[in-house]
Amino acid sequence: MLFITSCEKDEPDDPIIPNEQEVITTLNYTLTPESGTPIILSFRDLDGDGGNEPIISDGTLASGMSYIGSMELLNELEDPAEDITLEVAEEELEHQFFYETSFPTELSDVNIAYNDLDEEGNPIGLSTVLTTGEMGSGTITVTLRHEPNKDAAGVSSGDIANAGGETDIEVTFNVEIQ
Amino acid sequence: MWKFSRHIAVCAIIIVIPVLSSAQNCNSAISGSVKDESTGISIPYANILVQELQLQAATDSLGFFNLESICIGEYHIVISHIGCETQEIYLNISTDTSLTVLLDCNSLRLQEAAVTGQVGKATTQETESVNSRSIAQNSNKNLATMLENISGVSTIKTGSGIAKPVVHGLYGNRLTILNNGIAQSGQQWALDHSPEIDPLVANRITVIKGVGTVEYQGSSLGSVIMVEPNKIENEPNLHGEGRYFFESNGLANGLNLGLHKYKKSFGWRATGTVKKRGDNRTSKYFLRNSGGQEANIALQFEKVWNKMWNSELYFSSFNAELGVLRGSHIGNLTDLEEALVRDIPFFTEDNFSYSINAPSQKVNHHFIKFHTKYEISESQRFDITYACQYNLRKEFDVRRSGRSDIPALSLKQVSNFIEGKYQNYLPRNWKLKSGFQVNRVSNINLPETGILPLIPDYNSNEYGFFALASKGYQKTSIEIGGRYDIENRNVAEISNSIPRKIIRYQNQYSNLSVMGGFNYKLGENWETSYNIGYAARYPEVNELYSYGLHQGVSGIEEGDISLRKEVSVKNTLSLKGNVKKRLFLEGLFYHQVINDFIFLNPQDEIRLTIRGAFPVFKYEQTDARLIGFDIAATYEATERFNITGKYSYLDGDDRGNQLPLVYMPSNNIYTELNYKLPELGCLSNVGFQINSRFVFEQKELLPSQDFVAVPESYYLIGLKLSAEKELPKLRLSLFVRAENLLNETYREYLNRQRYFADDLGFNLIVGVNISF
Repeated sequence: MLFITSCEKDEPDDPIIPNEQEVITTLNYTLTPESGTPIILSFRDLDGDGGNEPIISDGTLASGMSYIGSMELLNELEDPAEDITLEVAEEELEHQFFYETSFPTELSDVNIAYNDLDEEGNPIGLSTVLTTGEMGSGTITVTLRHEPNKDAAGVSSGDIANAGGETDIEVTFNVEIQ
Repeated sequence: MWKFSRHIAVCAIIIVIPVLSSAQNCNSAISGSVKDESTGISIPYANILVQELQLQAATDSLGFFNLESICIGEYHIVISHIGCETQEIYLNISTDTSLTVLLDCNSLRLQEAAVTGQVGKATTQETESVNSRSIAQNSNKNLATMLENISGVSTIKTGSGIAKPVVHGLYGNRLTILNNGIAQSGQQWALDHSPEIDPLVANRITVIKGVGTVEYQGSSLGSVIMVEPNKIENEPNLHGEGRYFFESNGLANGLNLGLHKYKKSFGWRATGTVKKRGDNRTSKYFLRNSGGQEANIALQFEKVWNKMWNSELYFSSFNAELGVLRGSHIGNLTDLEEALVRDIPFFTEDNFSYSINAPSQKVNHHFIKFHTKYEISESQRFDITYACQYNLRKEFDVRRSGRSDIPALSLKQVSNFIEGKYQNYLPRNWKLKSGFQVNRVSNINLPETGILPLIPDYNSNEYGFFALASKGYQKTSIEIGGRYDIENRNVAEISNSIPRKIIRYQNQYSNLSVMGGFNYKLGENWETSYNIGYAARYPEVNELYSYGLHQGVSGIEEGDISLRKEVSVKNTLSLKGNVKKRLFLEGLFYHQVINDFIFLNPQDEIRLTIRGAFPVFKYEQTDARLIGFDIAATYEATERFNITGKYSYLDGDDRGNQLPLVYMPSNNIYTELNYKLPELGCLSNVGFQINSRFVFEQKELLPSQDFVAVPESYYLIGLKLSAEKELPKLRLSLFVRAENLLNETYREYLNRQRYFADDLGFNLIVGVNISF
């Protein structure tokens, strides 16, 4: 009798595919110069952790130029794509972007300054001002921290060292200054 | 005669035999002897109190007592002795009565405990128990930490509130936990899922440090932990016990109440526990969000239909909410590296708090069991058991946009279990136990999370058959057994690729396990036993199918659907005995080879995601070997003073890769000095204890096997004072314990919180137990 029942199919029901609203698949850092066409640094990983490699678009910037930087986060698993930037903006007190640059010389270094404030007067980093130096190549690392301590030493001026919290995004772009 | 027959069946500890004689109204005698339950040695000068008469007596130098001129009636007799668990017996005296009382006198000594209280069969395998007195004096602990003083047993923890027991280096799916005889069925696969059992419902917790127990279903590769609730005492009056404790570390409070009654062949017992704990503290700072709360209930009913047939119904509900250290919640490897170098974790606050926020776990486990037994004769019986377990686990992460209140993991498991057992005697006095078990498990992810599930949904059907034969002949007892298991598992997984689709898998396994052992008495005071067992474990769903980021350890974990079952051969050899009943010695040596041992192996690959780069871990198989020993010695210098020392050693090797195994317990030495006084002022059975534990550094591991250097060795000192007081109709017992008396700063290798924070600082526990 036992063997008879063991031969029967006992399949679980189809699992309900969750609505993955929270996922960030795409980061677009749009840099609009005072004059000329905007540059977009983007990181796009549609199938999440693992699977296919993410597609990273690096960028070339002009030397001695000032850009307005604007950050956009998307969940492209949803159709139409969900704008996660709005979630971050709504929870501005609990989020902060950090921009770390690494260039071989100080003269070629890129400076990224915050261009927005939350209601407590601390930066969020959705909007930035980027200024380039001399020609050279280096990297820009964008980090989004959830629940950082914005009051810790150096955090409001963009130093991540004492920020704490969890990293929701950490993406590095190669940047060429010409 | 029949009046007491149920007594014998119900309570294995007390054997009452009424002596037939012509009874007058006040002419009855109560006589008997008092013995040590574990050694069988008579206890002289034990105290006998007939409560209703306030009549006191003591056993003589041979352990006998005699009370005369007792009127017909109902009495409660309290038997106590220094260092032993006090027994209270209900007697309905209508004639001369003779009884043998077995007292539980040393929770530390290895005992030949009955493997199943009901069948009363001792195993040749090594067992060690925590008795109800020890449970009462550690009422603040959880199931795993309550077993820590048993040599060879350790715990794998996530912070202070989440702990899993480890026996001889194995835990989780490799260690079966039997709750009231039924394999605990929940999400045992994860390191941070503690067993959903309230130890305060138990009367005895037994660890079988064995080679395989063919009698039970479950995936044990040797050892088994048995949590056994108390049998309902034969007691027509309402009795009960209340326990309260307070802990200074975490400002924890706990209350446990039990009531029981047994009248006219029907007995019941109800037990309830509530506990609440706030943020624990290390030697220097509070561990934010490390509190927890629990509310549990258990109900037991027993009905004796006739001399041969009785039935039991058991229901329990375990409900816990456990906080996880806020500073241990990290987003990626950079966060982990930052956390590793900090002295004090992120999010640490100066103030104590009871609040529990994300990250946290909410767990509910409801259990119902119906058991009926039919004894055809003294040598033949049937047992039928049905059990259902409902396990709900929700885990909360710190999430965006108010989603912290939505679980990130939400799993529901329902298991239905039926067992039939038959016990009889074969020619040449072989006792045979045989039976079958059918278990159906349904495990589904609740879709509320908005996250791809960590493990897939599955239904699994398990069928098992076993036979276990045992025989005692002169100085030898022998046990041999076998078991055959079939498992069919149907899995439905959501694909990791886009677009999402459902992928189905079917796993089929079958396995034969066998064990054998013997125990041999070497003279009057020594015995040795040897056991060998062959067992297998099928790969679990997490090992086969998990895919994705494991946040707690910042790694991407990948299952492998081609994993085979792992196969173990374990040998144990034990020797125990005593020298002149003063020096008690015991040693247990074990050797276990596990071929195709499944483990998480770090890969060379670093995978890039939008949250940064993560190391990749894959479930792989290797050939593992565990060698270890547990030794213990107790020296009873005088009746009042004794000293105990225990040492546990374990060496685990990954022979396939020529590496040590990770997550193996550190070697450790535990010592205990006890001084006992029969009386002190108005108190009785007064005990003073100083204990210490030295834990060695886990030196075997290579630096490449962990994110950070393993913690250094540490030494902790503890104190315990306990006393009892007998009041009219009430028995009061009190205890005060101090843990980490010197407020040492330390980290423990098997506590995964060690990456982020120190372990617990000083803790003072005060407890009161009342029996009425």
